[in-house]
Order: sequence, then structure tokens, then C-alpha cells
Amino acid sequence: MATYLLRRLLLGLLTLVAITFIVYGLARNMPGTPLTVQMGESDPSRKLNPEDQERMKRIYGLDRPWHEGYLRWLGNVVRGDLGRSFSRKQPVTTLIGERIGPTFLLSGTALLLTWLLGVPLGLYASARSGLADERATSLLLYILYSFPTFVAALFLQIIFAVWLRGTSWELPLFGMSDLPADAGWAARSVDIARHAILPVTCQTYVSLAYDSRFIKANMEEAVRQDYIRTARAKGAGPGRVLFHHAFRNTLIPLVTLLGLSLPGLIGGSVIIEQIFTWPGMGRLFFESIRERDYPTIMGLTLMFSVLTLIGQLLADLLYCLVDPRVSVE
Amino acid sequence: MNEIQSRGRQSHGFWAEAWARFRRKPLAMAALVFVAMLAAVAVLAPAIAGTKPVLCRYKGRLYAPCLGYFDRRLEPTVFAKDRFRGTYPKNLAEKDPDSWAIWPLVFQDPYRAVRENEWPGRPANPAKDEGRPSRINLFGTDQYGVDVFAKMVHGTTIALLVGVVSMGLAGTIGIIVGALGGYFGGWVDMLTSRITEIVMCVPTLVLILAVIAIVEKPTIWKTMAIIGATGWTGIARLTRGEFLRLRQSEFVTAARAAGAGPVRIMLRHILPNALAPVLVPITFGIASAILTESALSFLGFGPPPPAASWGSLLNDARSNLSMWWLVVFPGVAIFLTVLAYNLIGEGLQEVTDPRLREARK
Repeated sequence: MATYLLRRLLLGLLTLVAITFIVYGLARNMPGTPLTVQMGESDPSRKLNPEDQERMKRIYGLDRPWHEGYLRWLGNVVRGDLGRSFSRKQPVTTLIGERIGPTFLLSGTALLLTWLLGVPLGLYASARSGLADERATSLLLYILYSFPTFVAALFLQIIFAVWLRGTSWELPLFGMSDLPADAGWAARSVDIARHAILPVTCQTYVSLAYDSRFIKANMEEAVRQDYIRTARAKGAGPGRVLFHHAFRNTLIPLVTLLGLSLPGLIGGSVIIEQIFTWPGMGRLFFESIRERDYPTIMGLTLMFSVLTLIGQLLADLLYCLVDPRVSVE
Repeated sequence: MNEIQSRGRQSHGFWAEAWARFRRKPLAMAALVFVAMLAAVAVLAPAIAGTKPVLCRYKGRLYAPCLGYFDRRLEPTVFAKDRFRGTYPKNLAEKDPDSWAIWPLVFQDPYRAVRENEWPGRPANPAKDEGRPSRINLFGTDQYGVDVFAKMVHGTTIALLVGVVSMGLAGTIGIIVGALGGYFGGWVDMLTSRITEIVMCVPTLVLILAVIAIVEKPTIWKTMAIIGATGWTGIARLTRGEFLRLRQSEFVTAARAAGAGPVRIMLRHILPNALAPVLVPITFGIASAILTESALSFLGFGPPPPAASWGSLLNDARSNLSMWWLVVFPGVAIFLTVLAYNLIGEGLQEVTDPRLREARK
């Protein structure tokens, strides 16, 4: 077990170095630097003169070739320093700390809803497999699964923010809160909840469709096993067979699915946060690419890759935990 | 028993049998017909919506100016010389009274707004949020007055090409990487698996956005290449698994005994047997490539104008939410295309995977 963990961790570190190296190289080779993009685009008169640019470049370490910059970045990371954002003049860790809450609020709620709805839906579908109502539900879920989130988001925005404007059903279009920070917490939470309804809906429906189909597929595999026939033969009722015998044996792939949803939980969704201008990680990432804010791009990439690797490792470890037939060796 | 015997006598090939089963699936067949229809729309786009005649007789000769929509250079130069400036109906009648022309089904241009009286007696296209769908502008017009139906008809090519080209590339890379790793094993496998894992862990959108920012002039072809170059990991993993399984089988040993080299064994003996399970993720990949391209265009990273993909129409809609027709028509088109490819993939999976076939009985 210890050697397995050690080997996985070493390989993971190697993968991390490779990923960050690639992304750093790509980021530094994008046309424009934080200095030119930031100031030249917003106001041509504020464009820096060449001497100032050279001076700024030296301060930010942009005068060196990118592989040297990468080594410096890597060295700082090892010492626990993710650097400071160019465009926001704040440490990257502070920025991430500010954005992680809103993203978690969205994706955590969405994940919870997905599982609360997805498991019963999947079980229902496999219990009534082949009947008219199940086929209708499955078809609907399949359609939802193919429905692009950004299209759904635009539809919802048109319905709730344009057509229902002025009614009590109107929902806000953008952002997380309209109230000032000193408003009462009750009013603020209601306001944030109202802002969160549309993005949470968008984030939930796709994974709901995927997860319930996944559960149903696994259940169909399980009910064909011999032990189900045995359970029926010994007189267990259909409900008991479904829950106690079949469903418990499909938990293993579900655990894997849960592990793989870890990066999305904290990394957020670029597209949804961008559409609803939700101040989360996905939007931060999008903005940092546009602003050529290398330290932020790298910090987020590092965080996202670490989460992906931890998610995979966790999935594998949980797999061994719930299935005694599988061993890490 | 009878069934087995009769099947043994006729002995259809694997693909013929799979096709026969596929044809019995109404949803999958409907999806296939839909994609074929889209292909027809893409090829016939200039004849469906445009302002250039499909075929016309001018000063005693026959021309097909509509080909100019495929490539500028295909438009006959005589019209440029006679100062047509892109408006055909009036000029044809004025400069050669004996001329005749076959017009596209819908007289609207995907790149510009139709002006007043360009088609005799017809008003100019409405712009801004006045352009709701009407008899003249079937799907409405965008904020500059360009017809949405024409834009969508001409954007079909992009939607179809994105899926096929990017997955063609991804399939090629994935199959080669997976085949090498699965067949040779050892350090080759170690290397290819590591590379696959690394590409898998890099967040796709970062990779795509960064690469798109790097390439000097983003075109739709570069976007396709990037989607393909990042989307091969799943295919590689599956191919590797199939090759690992099949290289142990007896027909491979037989081929090796007969003196076949590794390349021949991989291409002629293993690949045909591994193709069916690999084709399924490729089909699903087409759906997700179309999604990725429209998401990129939606975020404003699409092909530069005037090339209009369905996603860039949605991007226009973001700042004009009251123009619901800019969302509904392209949105439904993207959705139906993605749905169609998913249904085809699902059907393919069901007819080629013997385990799923057993489950049906």
C-alpha cells in the first residue's frame, strides 16, 4: 500500500511538472504581454513608452526567455509562493481564496441536487425498465443530456429575465448579488439564492441526465447477475432486491464518478460562470487568459491539475476500499 | 438452434449484419437521415439561400455565380468587369434584357443585409430588434439586418466539418498512440500512457484557448485542428485496451507465424477487429467537437467574421437578449445536431457490442 501510494505520488508529481511546463510555455507564447494587453487596449494614450516597458518587464521577470521564467515559477511554487497577479496587484492565493467560495456555492449545490435527484431517477428507471413512463423519462433525460448548457442558459435568461420582467417570477440576469455588503445577512442570502437559481439549474441538468443514465446502465448490468435470481428465488420482494441486492452492487462505479467530479467542484465551469458573470474560479481563469496574467493562469492550472490527480487517486483508493476483490498491488 | 444454422449458411459479414440491425432502430436511423440532410444543406447552401443566381444566361453565355459562395475565385469575372457589385437582379435586367436566371430558394445573403428594392418591390431587411421572423426573413435578422436563415444555412458547412475533420484527426492520433502502446507494451506503452495521461489532465479549455491565442490568424481550420489535437485521449485508451486484448489472440500468433511484420499485423489483422468499439467514442466525439466549437464561438473565440458558425450567432444574442430568434434557431440547430450524433453513436454501440445485444433479449 505504502509503495503504491509513493509510486502514484511520484508519477503525479512528474505529470504535474509536465502539465505546468506545457501551459507555461503556451501562456508565455500568446501574443501580447500583460503590459501591452492591459493598458494598450483600454486606452491608447496610456500605452507605456519603451523605456518604462523595459523597466516593467524587468520587474515582472518578462525580459528572460520563458523556460527560465518557468524554472523561477517552479522554484517559487516549491517554496509555497504562487506569485502575484499582474493585473490585479494581489497574491494569486488571495484571488483564489476570494473566488473559491462562490464557485463552491454553485457547483456544490449542483452536485448535491444531481445526486439527490439522479439516484432516485436512475433507480426508478431501472425498476420500470421498458414501460411507457420509463421510456418517456429516459428519452427526456437523453434530450437534456444533448442540450448544450450555453443554449439552455440563454433560453433561461430570455424567459426569466426578459419575458417575465416585472412579474414576481423575474430572476436576475448577472452577478451574484445586487445588495451592498452591509445589508442584513437574511436579505443578502435571499438575494444570492435568487441569483444562483439559473446557474445552478444549468449546471445540474446535464450531470443529472448523465448520472441517472449511468446508474440505470449499471443497474441493468447488476440485475442480470446470478445473485439477483437467487435473491428473488428466496422470496425477497422487488423493492428489497432493487435496493439491497442490486443497487448496493452498483455503488462501486458510482464512487469512481464521485472522485472524477472533484475538479469540477472547485474548478467551476468557465462557460456558466462567464454567461452569468458569476465571480468564481472559471471566470477568473477566463479573465486571466484575456489579460495575459501569467501567475494567475499558472496558479489555477496547477490547482486544477492537482485536483484532477487527487480525484483519480481518490477514485482508485475508494475502489479498493469498497471492492475487496480489487487490490492496489 | 434453427436460427444459428440459417445464419451459418448465409454468413453475412460483421458490418453487413451490424447495418441490418442498425436499420431496425428508428431513432438511430432518423438521426442518420438528419445528418444526411444537413450534409445536403451544406452542399446546396448557395442554392438554398443567397443573392447570386444559381444559374443565369448573360450576354449569350451560361454562368453559375452562386459558386462564389464556396470560393470567391469561382465567381465568373465578367460580372465584376460589368460592375455588378454583388447585386444581380437589377443589373442582369438592365445590362442584358434577354438574360434569365434561376434564383436561390430564399433571396437573402449570409454576409450582408439585403437593401431596399434589391429584389424588385421588396423592402430592406430590418435591423436591431425590429428583425423578428417574418415571411421574408424566415428566422429573423441580426442587429445589422443580416438574415439569420441565410447565415445558418451557410454555417451548416462549419458545423459538419468541425465534427468530421477534428474527430478524423483525433481518431488518427488516438488509434496510432493506442495501437503502439497496446501492441508493443513495455516501455513504449509506458511512454504513450504517460503522454495520454498528461494531455488528459490539462484542462481542455485552457489548452484550446491558449493555442487559439497563439496562432496568428485564427481560422475555422485551426480551431478544428486544435479540437482534434486535444480530443484523442479517450480513443487512445480504448484502442490500447482492444490491442492489449487482441494481441494475445490466436489469429495474431498465426499471422506472426506466417511472417507478417508488426505494421501489417496492427493494420490488417488487429485494427479491423478493434474498429467497432473505437468507432463509438469517435461518433460521440463528433457531437462533443460540435459542442466545443459552438461554445468557443459563443465565448467569442470562433472563426473571424464573415464566416458565421451557429455559435457566433448565439454570441450576438448575448448582448441582445430581447432578440429571442437569435437564440432559438441556432440553439435548436446545435442541439439537434448534437442529439443526432449521440443517437447514432448509441445505435452503433448497441449493434456492434455483443454484450449489449445479449441484454436486449
